[in-house]
Amino acid sequence: MRPVHSGREYVHELRFSVRKGTAEGSRHDTYKDKPNRLAGWCFCVLLAFARPVFADESHDRVLVADPYLELHTGPGRAYPIFDIAERGERVDILGRHTDWFKVRTARGKEGWVSRAQMEATLTEAGERKTFRDVLFDDYLSRRMEFGFSFGRFDHDPLLSAYAGYRIHENFEVELTIAQSAGDFSTTSLYYASLVSLPFPDSRWSPFFALGAGRFTNAPKATLVSATKTKGGLANAAIGLRYYVTRQFFLHMEAKKHVALIDYNRTNDYTELSVGAAFFF
Amino acid sequence: MASPVLLSALTVTMSLLVASAAMAQSKESVPEPVIPAQVERREVHIPKIRANDVEFGAFAGILSVQNFGAKPTAGLRLGYHVTEDFFLEGTYGRSKVSDQSYRQLGIPIFTKEEMPLTYYYLSVGVNLFPGEVFLGKDRAMTSAVYLVGGVGNVNFASENHTAYNFGIGIRVLPVDWFSMRFEMRDQMFTSDLLGKNELKHNFEMTLGLAAYF
Repeated sequence: MRPVHSGREYVHELRFSVRKGTAEGSRHDTYKDKPNRLAGWCFCVLLAFARPVFADESHDRVLVADPYLELHTGPGRAYPIFDIAERGERVDILGRHTDWFKVRTARGKEGWVSRAQMEATLTEAGERKTFRDVLFDDYLSRRMEFGFSFGRFDHDPLLSAYAGYRIHENFEVELTIAQSAGDFSTTSLYYASLVSLPFPDSRWSPFFALGAGRFTNAPKATLVSATKTKGGLANAAIGLRYYVTRQFFLHMEAKKHVALIDYNRTNDYTELSVGAAFFF
Repeated sequence: MASPVLLSALTVTMSLLVASAAMAQSKESVPEPVIPAQVERREVHIPKIRANDVEFGAFAGILSVQNFGAKPTAGLRLGYHVTEDFFLEGTYGRSKVSDQSYRQLGIPIFTKEEMPLTYYYLSVGVNLFPGEVFLGKDRAMTSAVYLVGGVGNVNFASENHTAYNFGIGIRVLPVDWFSMRFEMRDQMFTSDLLGKNELKHNFEMTLGLAAYF
């Protein structure tokens, strides 16, 4: 729980008066005793409730390169600004939530600063690259990814989830589980696929995939004389990816599935889906 | 586990090699430069900032299944906060359904009186009203009222149903890495279990706790 900032400033002032008090306390000034005691009490309250204000060396300390940083009370544009840090000041970066950085100023104030306002500070601390470029570099050097999608499997809704691993600049191996609960039956698909990305470095990246796996179809219990079918599955897909931001991209694809039920019988299905994925 | 030791050993050997090579070179060194280079080295240090955009937690509450009574429900939740406004969330929950009222009339629907119900959803959330919750005079917690909706699957009476969920909730963060929430959702799916294929509304009310990573 975080103290309300106006109250906290008050406590800070009182703490300051404690220090002043000890420095000049040897004087025979009886008036000074009263605020000191009050300040002492407040200091106890501060110790009991507030988090330590002293700089923790384990956090990253950066020099503010932007004209100033506005400290918001929460990680969002709507939260009020209660303090600022000026250019040349040193601040500790305590953490990050979405596009907001939690910083602590030299004076011990903790607040949230937007990424847009931190851009120069963060760039100065690192290399001559904008923060967005650094993020895009992460996208280029990604290895693992996880995603899910929603679409249509012929006329039934389809939900699928996948995990992927990049084995080469242009190739990726993916494992997918998908389920389609339709009006008459439930179809489950489990397959592995090899995905080819001819332009892996672009924001809009088309892909082609070939896969193989298992197929099961279980009709609803309310249907009479329907039997469960199982078989092999082969599929081919074309699709498009769009890198949005940070570790996040969207994808859409069209896929043709062929279920190999027995030697004489195959069923084919068309899948159209859109989804979201993350990479690490 | 052994790799850091190995690495440091390697580094030491490498630096020794480089140092000896440098010494060998300095013996046959060239005359000193006329103008000594004055290069001010900038301290380059790329900050490693930990982001806590992943939220993992548990929830518990009541799920009311249309025609089959209300039962306790509990589950797990994994979320990813994409921006300050949007988040994605996967939910998995377990509850029960009962055909007790039909049994009392002598027309059991299920093979047993109580049957398990499981559900999962992939949803998108929008933080509609970000704000702060004040406790007394001195304490504040960040909060948000959010809308959430998505698609998933409900399995009960050994049948899968493609389901849609839509809800509203309030999330409060006492500290930056921990959240509490109260959520109300409608889980919708079509079922023909009672003869007619129709859309069923199933209301769920839950309390949840989660940590941010």
